[in-house]
Amino acid sequence: MSWILFWKLVFVVTLALFAVMATLVTVLGARDVRRLLRGLKERKETK
Amino acid sequence: MNPEEAAAALSRTNFGALDAVIVCLYLLISVAIGLVVKKYVSDMTTYIGAGRKVGAWLGVATMTGTEMGLITVMYSAQKGFTGGFAAFHIALIAGAVTLLIGFSGFIVVPLRALRVLTIPEFYEQRFGRKTRILGGVMLAFGGILNMGLFLKVGSMFIVGVTGLSSTGWALPAVMVMLLTLVLIYTTLGGMISVILTDYIQFVVLAVGLLVATFLAIGDLGWDRIFLSVAELMGESGMNPVADGSGFGWSYVIWMMITAGLVSCAIWPTAVARALAMESAPAVRRQYMWSSISFTVRFMIPYFWGICAFVYIRDSAAGADLKALFFPADGSEPGIDNLYAMPVYLGRLLPSLVLGIISAAMIAAFMSTHDSYFLCWSSVITQDIIAPLRRGALSDAARVRCTRILILLIGGYVLYWGLLYEGRDDIWDYMAVSGAIYFTGAMAVLICGLYWQRASSTGAVAALLCGGAAVLGLGPVQQLVGLQYRNDAGEWVQRLTGAQVGLITAALSFIAMILGSLLFPDRRPRDSKSKTMKTES
Repeated sequence: MSWILFWKLVFVVTLALFAVMATLVTVLGARDVRRLLRGLKERKETK
Repeated sequence: MNPEEAAAALSRTNFGALDAVIVCLYLLISVAIGLVVKKYVSDMTTYIGAGRKVGAWLGVATMTGTEMGLITVMYSAQKGFTGGFAAFHIALIAGAVTLLIGFSGFIVVPLRALRVLTIPEFYEQRFGRKTRILGGVMLAFGGILNMGLFLKVGSMFIVGVTGLSSTGWALPAVMVMLLTLVLIYTTLGGMISVILTDYIQFVVLAVGLLVATFLAIGDLGWDRIFLSVAELMGESGMNPVADGSGFGWSYVIWMMITAGLVSCAIWPTAVARALAMESAPAVRRQYMWSSISFTVRFMIPYFWGICAFVYIRDSAAGADLKALFFPADGSEPGIDNLYAMPVYLGRLLPSLVLGIISAAMIAAFMSTHDSYFLCWSSVITQDIIAPLRRGALSDAARVRCTRILILLIGGYVLYWGLLYEGRDDIWDYMAVSGAIYFTGAMAVLICGLYWQRASSTGAVAALLCGGAAVLGLGPVQQLVGLQYRNDAGEWVQRLTGAQVGLITAALSFIAMILGSLLFPDRRPRDSKSKTMKTES
């Protein structure tokens, strides 16, 4: 396999994986943000 | 090219009023977050560890946000510009090693299980207070030196993309403005505001990275980008171990350590994310998913740098920049090649998209700065000042001390950005300055966690050996004769920064092992049993 083909494949696969990951992190990360703020609020109230 | 023509070529950009509004809005939102979340700061654990309540997906976002800073984008684009596709090997190494850490939990999972807030805190649990203080000093010294150029390089992006003058007042003015904003929201909200802004940054940055990449491919042509590099750079633009690539085997091995293991499992800002996670399984998930972003954070900017190279060297539209970046007679140095990528993006992207990308890049800039400010200042507070004080330091006093240190480090970064004149590639400067800390820390962490006979004498010796990495910095090499001008006036290096780093890392491990065997602690401590106890 030539270097050009190799780097092309690597780049395309990386971009595809990143697109999937970005979608997941955007959606599920928002849920984590809500949980984090709720937890911190409870922590402060119990102090 | 005369100065007027050069200024005209650099000021050609699509950045307009609409883009400026988008950027300002983003900055205001970031500062507002700092003000809003201040109310959640109840103690030191919430201030520097977000109360250890970060979920896996938010952990991935914040890890990406921190480690994909504007400095990363800039130095990576520079590597792509000078090294071509051969630089991609660094991205592959970074991703593969992070994935392995995620699968194995190597270093990060046992550290998280010990419930420490900082790495030197582990040193104290395992080796005693003196090791903690020395570790804190080495970490703060190497880390703060490492971030010395962040502000300047980040500001160069803003100057390049907006078409401001690269030689006048614009650069220092942008530096001061950005620094002020970061200092405001970091000192107010600590880790909570850092994590929330990291999340927003992740979303904006992910969209920006993908859109800009596709626009660059559309502009230059997919096949042409690869063929131009192959033609103009030859084998050295594709193969990292080819002659003339500027990399070679010692560089590849050095990258396995720095871009691979150190970046994700030794470097305190990354480890701080692991320590803030809610559980050990969340840490593993965080690392496995982050392996993608650890690849992307290098690879996409490399690609942008490569596109800038092709645009300038091999397209009619970029012909006016060719004489600036590649002077024909070679008698005078071209303009700093860090400007190549932002100048290219400033011409490529249409208004609105350019505003979003600029906001994303400023977001990247801020999220890295805030994390680094918080990390180094909390290390100085927790691991140097607090252990040295005779009386206990209250939580309120620690938070106050950390905030003051953030401001002081901000002042240093501004000063260093204006002062430093080394000729190293930015990435190489960072790898070498970071090595002052991580070469010693790598030996102490790995042996401390996995070798029962590791002793405090060995740990101290390993940490001190790490200081030798300073010999890899350009100005220091010139001072001690490791770098000199030959009769033809060219600079010659006796040892490259990568070689100095590798030797220092080896010396630190040797010091750790010999020190431990020759001077064992009276009562060996078992960190693994301690880990089990903490978890139960």
